[in-house]
Amino acid sequence: MEKDTEKMEEEYKVIKGKSPTLSKRNILFIAVAFLVVVLFYFLPIPEGLSNNGKMMIGILLMGGILWITEPIPLAVTGLLIIIIQPILGIMPAGDVFSSFGNQAVFFLIGAFILAGALEKHGLHKRIALKFLSFFEKNPKLFTFGIMISCAFLSFIMPEHGVAAMFLPIVISILIAMKITPRKSNFGIVSMLSIAYGCSIGSLGTLIGGARNPLTIGMLSDIGYSVSFFDWMTYSMPIVFISLPLVWLILHISFPIEIKNIASAKTEINRQVSRSGKMGRYELTVLCIVVLTIILWIFVSSPTYFSLAVIAILGSILLFFTGCITWKDVEQRVPWGIILLYGGAITLGIGMQKTGAGSWIAHRLFDVTGNNPYLVIFGLIILTVLLTNIMSNVGAVAILLPIGLAIATEVPGVSPLLASMLIALSGGLAFIFIIATPGNAIAYSSGYFSSRDLLKAGVVANIACIGVIFLVAIIYWKGVLNL
Amino acid sequence: MFKNILIPISSEFYQKEIFQTGAFLAEKFDSTIKLIYIIEGKTLDQTEKRLDSYRTDFDRAETKKEIIRRHIHVADTIIFEDAKRLFADKNIPFNGEVIEGEFSTVIKGQLNKYKYDLILMGFEKECLLHYRLFEEVDIPIWVESGTDEKSILAVCSNLAPNQKVPEMSLRLSKTLGWDLHMVYVVDIQDAVEVDSNGKRSEKKSENALLERGQQFISEMEKKGIDVTLVKGSLEKETAKAAEDIGAGLVILGREQKKKSILGIPVKGMKRKMAETCKYSILFVN
Repeated sequence: MEKDTEKMEEEYKVIKGKSPTLSKRNILFIAVAFLVVVLFYFLPIPEGLSNNGKMMIGILLMGGILWITEPIPLAVTGLLIIIIQPILGIMPAGDVFSSFGNQAVFFLIGAFILAGALEKHGLHKRIALKFLSFFEKNPKLFTFGIMISCAFLSFIMPEHGVAAMFLPIVISILIAMKITPRKSNFGIVSMLSIAYGCSIGSLGTLIGGARNPLTIGMLSDIGYSVSFFDWMTYSMPIVFISLPLVWLILHISFPIEIKNIASAKTEINRQVSRSGKMGRYELTVLCIVVLTIILWIFVSSPTYFSLAVIAILGSILLFFTGCITWKDVEQRVPWGIILLYGGAITLGIGMQKTGAGSWIAHRLFDVTGNNPYLVIFGLIILTVLLTNIMSNVGAVAILLPIGLAIATEVPGVSPLLASMLIALSGGLAFIFIIATPGNAIAYSSGYFSSRDLLKAGVVANIACIGVIFLVAIIYWKGVLNL
Repeated sequence: MFKNILIPISSEFYQKEIFQTGAFLAEKFDSTIKLIYIIEGKTLDQTEKRLDSYRTDFDRAETKKEIIRRHIHVADTIIFEDAKRLFADKNIPFNGEVIEGEFSTVIKGQLNKYKYDLILMGFEKECLLHYRLFEEVDIPIWVESGTDEKSILAVCSNLAPNQKVPEMSLRLSKTLGWDLHMVYVVDIQDAVEVDSNGKRSEKKSENALLERGQQFISEMEKKGIDVTLVKGSLEKETAKAAEDIGAGLVILGREQKKKSILGIPVKGMKRKMAETCKYSILFVN
């Protein structure tokens, strides 16, 4: 009893000691971010820009600083962006909060509930193991299998969840193969395949990353409707070209040294047999998810049976069948991303309504000219650079309003084309550990160094920039007339 | 001299060669080895921070638990197995433990709990570790590089108290049977003298520092050790001398080189040397 009390006291001390405080570094970043807004308040209004537009650029920079340095959670920055606009008299409170009424918010909520059900019943793991078992022939094919499996699962659930689920599966396999951390190229390639597979897969559908619904949300505000199927039509060529290309880059960067993967096979079989037969609930979740995806692809319409309606319908079916409870939703739906989304979309609306976006676009033209190919290339490069140093939703949120403004000024670049360029390039965060949660999760395995990520990431990013550029010019513009 | 050796291995990197060196030293000094596998808290925190907003508390906790579980599995199945194979073959007593935390903090915690005479560790530049322990721990730290060379370079200078290095170098050279070379570096970039308590003096003239160097050489000659006097920067001259003699181990004292330029903190010399050298280093603090 006495021991228990001592233990409790010890724990209490630890909890007390860990009370959250802002570090000096974080206070400095917050101060700098606010200072930028203050500075813009006192700056003279540049020619061609309104006072509100000038302040919106200040808010954009503030958001950028806070999203890059992260002294406060990303979602709180989103909230700050929402409230600072009415405080400074840029937009009425009713207008900024109405962005939460956007259908894309409810699409996100529904998609998270569906993903939560997959995770709760371990269905995602079963699908992953099934996929992997098709690629057990040799080590090279196996790493490709990891990449393909991660990408496929990122079509039907958020990429971070896929990375978190794949990590233990692949580490178990590497341990079974006695692969020492950081000493094996096979270990490096396997882990990087998780990170890059999830990132590339997240481009494929509207579910993979929150930036995708954000993009269709912003497009719908200016009268463009993009269906689930439309999105896949635009993105899938990039996914299916990038996957083997990046896999090839990984193999050239880190030639695999092992030849036999018999123990990997045994480990996968062990894990498959441990997961047993598919249960009733698992089967029900599978049916509901498949049905939802079919409805999204083939039946959805922007007016009545929209993506959000279908997503919420799928979620409600999960409740009707007893597959999930509200407690599961509380445990598995990241409300933070919804708030981040809200901040991002109000930022876009503010930039557009105040004319700040088109003012920045004009200043960019002064420097680069308005050659459409150069503009397309510039948008891709800028997005890839930004997404590698900050949250990819943040990067897309900052660049979309500028991209949309550019599109209205440059002949040959439509708002849809500009948005797709930014949304898809926003998923290519390959270089740094901090660039995306998928990279951080894979790095936590200890199987590769930050240098390995940099080495492969730079080449993979350059290659994917080329892929997006060519797909945009040849397929989107040439074939689809975007 | 090294009765109890602590081998910390971070989940950030694993250098297998330290077990060879550990076994070699344990045989020579009849030592007991404690192996700790540290699940790096910074990596876990970083992953958690990245997942903030994207995953729920529940999901983040699950992911963290899973990462820790896998690291324990890696430690048990790969690292402790490697150690067992080597140490058991040579009848070297050892025990292992897995601890979660920040590398330097965990090691300092171990030093508070138990008595150790040496920390034997690897070094990796490309990771999140700060290696604060180089500056904050007062027992010798051996940073293994995996080189096969068998000679010792002992480095004394105007920037260190030079008390433990000569004695330890001699004893190591005799016990290990390795050649001993000693240099005295007059660091003219940081022209101060460090006393036996590790305190830095006021700035001194080059001549005064050279004279002090000559005095040190005469003292060592009486003990039968030949010392070469060089002047320049401590890091560069050490690296040059080590290259010249093909050193396997460089022994450095508690140097007190200035840790900032124009008030801006710079990387500690010890960390800089560990990053760039091809030889093993023994920091005698």
